[in-house]
Amino acid sequence: QELPYSDGKKYTLGSVTVSGNTSFSEQTIVTYSGLSKGKEMTIPGEDISTAIKKLWNSKLFNDIEIYITKIEGDVAHLEIRLSDLPQLNELKINGIKKGKKEAIIKDAGLKKGTKVTENLITNTKNFLNKKYRKEGFYNTKILINTIDVKDSIETARVNMVVNIDKGEKVKVKDIVFNGNDILSDKKLRKAMKNTKKINRLRILKRSKFVDSAYQEDLSKIIDKYKENGYRDARILSDSLIVNDDNKTVSLHINVNEGEQYTFGDITFIGNTVYSNEQLRRYLRINKGDTYNGVLLQERIADNSKPDAADITNLYQNSGYLFSSINPVEVNADGNVIDMEIRITEGKPAYFNKVSVVGNDKTNDHVIYRMLRTRPGQLYSKENVVRSVRELGQLGFFDAQEISPNFNNPNPDEGTIDMEYSVKETGSSQIELQGGYGGGGFIGTLGLSFNNFSIKDIFKKDAYKPIPMGDGQKLALRLQASRFYQTYSFSFSEPWLGGKKPVQFSTSLSHTKQFLYNPITRNADKSKRFNITGISVGLAKRLTVPDDYFTLSQAVSFQHYDLQNYNTGLFTFGNGDSNNLSYTIGLSRNNTRIDPIYPTGGSNFSATAKFSVPYSLFNDVNYKALKEERDALEVIVSDSTRPIDERTEASDRVGEIDQERYKWLEFYKINFKADWYAEIVKDLVLKPSAEFGFLGAYNNDRGVIPFERFFVGGDGLGSYSLDGRESIALRGYPNQSLSDQDGGTIYNKFSLELRYPITLKASAKIYALGFLEGGASYNSFRDYNPFSIKRSAGLGIRIFMPAFGLLGIDFGHGFDALPGETVKNGWETHFIIGQQF
Amino acid sequence: CSEYQKVLKNEEIAPKFKMGEALYNEGKYAKANKLFAQIVPNYRGKPQAEKLMYLYSNTFYKTKDYYVAGYQFERFASSYPNSEKVEEAAFLSAKSHYMLSPVYSKDQKETVEAIEKLQAFINLYPESEYSVEANILVKELDYKLEKKAFEIAKQYNKIAFTSTELEAAIKSFDNFIFDFPGSSLREDALFYKLDSAYKLGINSVEYKKQNRLITAKEYYEAFKNKYPNSKYTEAINVMVLEMDEALKNYSTKS
Repeated sequence: QELPYSDGKKYTLGSVTVSGNTSFSEQTIVTYSGLSKGKEMTIPGEDISTAIKKLWNSKLFNDIEIYITKIEGDVAHLEIRLSDLPQLNELKINGIKKGKKEAIIKDAGLKKGTKVTENLITNTKNFLNKKYRKEGFYNTKILINTIDVKDSIETARVNMVVNIDKGEKVKVKDIVFNGNDILSDKKLRKAMKNTKKINRLRILKRSKFVDSAYQEDLSKIIDKYKENGYRDARILSDSLIVNDDNKTVSLHINVNEGEQYTFGDITFIGNTVYSNEQLRRYLRINKGDTYNGVLLQERIADNSKPDAADITNLYQNSGYLFSSINPVEVNADGNVIDMEIRITEGKPAYFNKVSVVGNDKTNDHVIYRMLRTRPGQLYSKENVVRSVRELGQLGFFDAQEISPNFNNPNPDEGTIDMEYSVKETGSSQIELQGGYGGGGFIGTLGLSFNNFSIKDIFKKDAYKPIPMGDGQKLALRLQASRFYQTYSFSFSEPWLGGKKPVQFSTSLSHTKQFLYNPITRNADKSKRFNITGISVGLAKRLTVPDDYFTLSQAVSFQHYDLQNYNTGLFTFGNGDSNNLSYTIGLSRNNTRIDPIYPTGGSNFSATAKFSVPYSLFNDVNYKALKEERDALEVIVSDSTRPIDERTEASDRVGEIDQERYKWLEFYKINFKADWYAEIVKDLVLKPSAEFGFLGAYNNDRGVIPFERFFVGGDGLGSYSLDGRESIALRGYPNQSLSDQDGGTIYNKFSLELRYPITLKASAKIYALGFLEGGASYNSFRDYNPFSIKRSAGLGIRIFMPAFGLLGIDFGHGFDALPGETVKNGWETHFIIGQQF
Repeated sequence: CSEYQKVLKNEEIAPKFKMGEALYNEGKYAKANKLFAQIVPNYRGKPQAEKLMYLYSNTFYKTKDYYVAGYQFERFASSYPNSEKVEEAAFLSAKSHYMLSPVYSKDQKETVEAIEKLQAFINLYPESEYSVEANILVKELDYKLEKKAFEIAKQYNKIAFTSTELEAAIKSFDNFIFDFPGSSLREDALFYKLDSAYKLGINSVEYKKQNRLITAKEYYEAFKNKYPNSKYTEAINVMVLEMDEALKNYSTKS
């Protein structure tokens, strides 16, 4: 029924029927087409084509046709004939690894149920071709087949098979330069960062050919010339020759070097805030220097480093947000280029409003107190950068997603609004563990809330699921097995009183342990050792020498209560001991930006812990006691003497030790330093060193058996027993490098190389390699920082907000354990919630 | 197996609607919601859909799922503009947004959204029986924004240590007074602004001290005239005594 448009006649629409292979209801299709009953329309005319277009645009149908079935007077009856587009049923991808399939399905949009059109097939083909081309596979062949599915379900469906033959990667066999006299082939090849010719010795960069990278590298060659004063250098031509083997290409590049230029007079125009002299000091380019456009640009605005010492930052850090700096060549006679650096300073900008958005959990006051940009203050880029860094360090927000936004810039008034956009991230951790170890079941329940709000603890509404948002830390931990139980609680508030960043922290703990009874093979509850401890501390951020420094102080008390607890550790089985001490520490931490994966800065701390020097005023003659004890020791260890005498002597030694350790008298010094340096993008080198020393005021009273250092292993469990410190040293078993009683001096050095696998907020994963060495010593006489136990190894760390840090390390110990003669070899360490 | 479970697993839709409505009337909204959710697609385009969608939307509201409730009510209001419930639905949609507004000290995206929705409702149905409540809610939300800005400025005053930090506090209060001209917190804002200026003056370096004290005294005079019977009167009188004392040095010197 081909009728010319102009002959269109007006009809009223009667019925509309639908035919063809479709699973959609007739009503839906008619409604969608817009052909409602009773509608006035011209046939042939616009309405029909609009209806077809509409149906077509739904991307659900194929072969859409509209017919007139009957005409009764001026009433027309229509029929829509169409069929559903087939849906994708099963997708098979051949030729690539399983893990890569998911990504392709997602990127190409090949989900089950997708409508399969020719367009989809072509797009998928193109997408895959392009994708592999980018990776250097220029010989990729893609074949896509569709097969109709015939079964009882009426919906038209097809199975799709995608065959991928990636073929061989195309590699660069040779790069040939022509016309280069000044710069050698080697130098030019080096300038090409991502296009390299085949070289078996180079392991970091591959030699595949990627066109986009090649184009970029061509401009890098020009940059290289520009750096050397050849600012007219250009690439005359370049050609790509596919070699006979079809796997490699050769690149021929013809360059024209041009002549070398030098800098002439450099003048500053428009500068009122900084003098010519000051600006020259930042520019550091003098008349007569080889012309280097790249360097000039870098000294004016270095885009690769946000905190570089360039002229732009000089202005940006002192409020001149609206300043602009343009170098202009004013004269180029005789290959000498005179430059004018035109500066438009503009008005200094002041912050008008400063706001934070995106804090769904954290309260304003926790965030605003961290900001170094406040309303009315002069704009400074440095302060903005630092605010972002410090918000990231709080750990409440995704450090990668904090962005400072400038709103409503007003160059006339000199004002700018600042908005920090943050994204909350999970900051609570739950640890629930059950395991079999130490001869029985061990259960652990740990809760730590890093953004707690203690003031909301009695508010019912705040439990979503726990009161959050005041930046306080609260941790509870219970651990129990047949042989011991530990309860601990800690709380800290980073801004005590809300006025100044004085951190208050307190912790309480109680540990019970029982001895093993070899007869019942169970814990012997009558032989126990209890430790109860409390500590209260204050830490304050200092402003001098700089504000990365923190001074901390703490008072702690521990009570050790022994009952029938006779082990090698103590000479007295019944008795008690008290440890009242004061700790003072100074630390500096400017690591940035992500606390889990710092890429720069350093972290050092020095602490000293003291007890009261009781022996100065308690009128006990420790010298006499020591002599008596030494004499008794001889008796105890002399096996020729009668047993009664030896027991008596041994009891007396216990009594003397009880006297010596009733109140622990000691001092302890610790020093620790870590550095982080980004070598190339994201690859971080972390050297670190640490040292500890435990001493006694009164040598006759002796160094206490508590608070000692135990070197070796994973460094976990440092709170057990007697205030001991476990020092991690991978490649050796736990605490294996110290005496049974622990050392009084230790040192450790390590070098770690880290590389991130992913740094997403949901999971941060990085791999590491390490070299380390350390040892503990029993006195200064033995101390030798070079006689250390060395090790090296590899490991991986995974940080997930809900679980904390988990990791595994494989360390190889190069030295023998004490008392052994062969090197220790490989050890595996599991790391939970602690960083090396 | 209870009657509810039977109906829930049944394929037929009519009993689900019936039971859902009965449960709804009994106040068992969560259960009703489950039933409605199953049959909403089946009723699309049918005459009963209007009632169903209203009940369905309301079950979200009653079970405090305000995100969905706000969306469903809004859909209801746009799908059935002639419904007798349209006014109520429009109001409840806006009120759902109000319910989502968090405490003032957190991000106020939802608050701003709620104010917009409520205001749109008031503009659309100025005579509505709900517009009184809507106005009260808007007021409450407006106050929340005021309170937020005020507390931020007040914190700047509290943690200020250096002179630029005190100036930042003054600037924040100026911004506050400018942004919320009719605020009930105006008196407090003016007081804390004076307090910041006073601290700035008293602790000032010598060569700026006189000017800063004079400015602070201006703030004092303005405050005293505006609020002669303020709860802060005693506090500011102490300040002014100290400032006058400090200013004496300059009058005798010059």
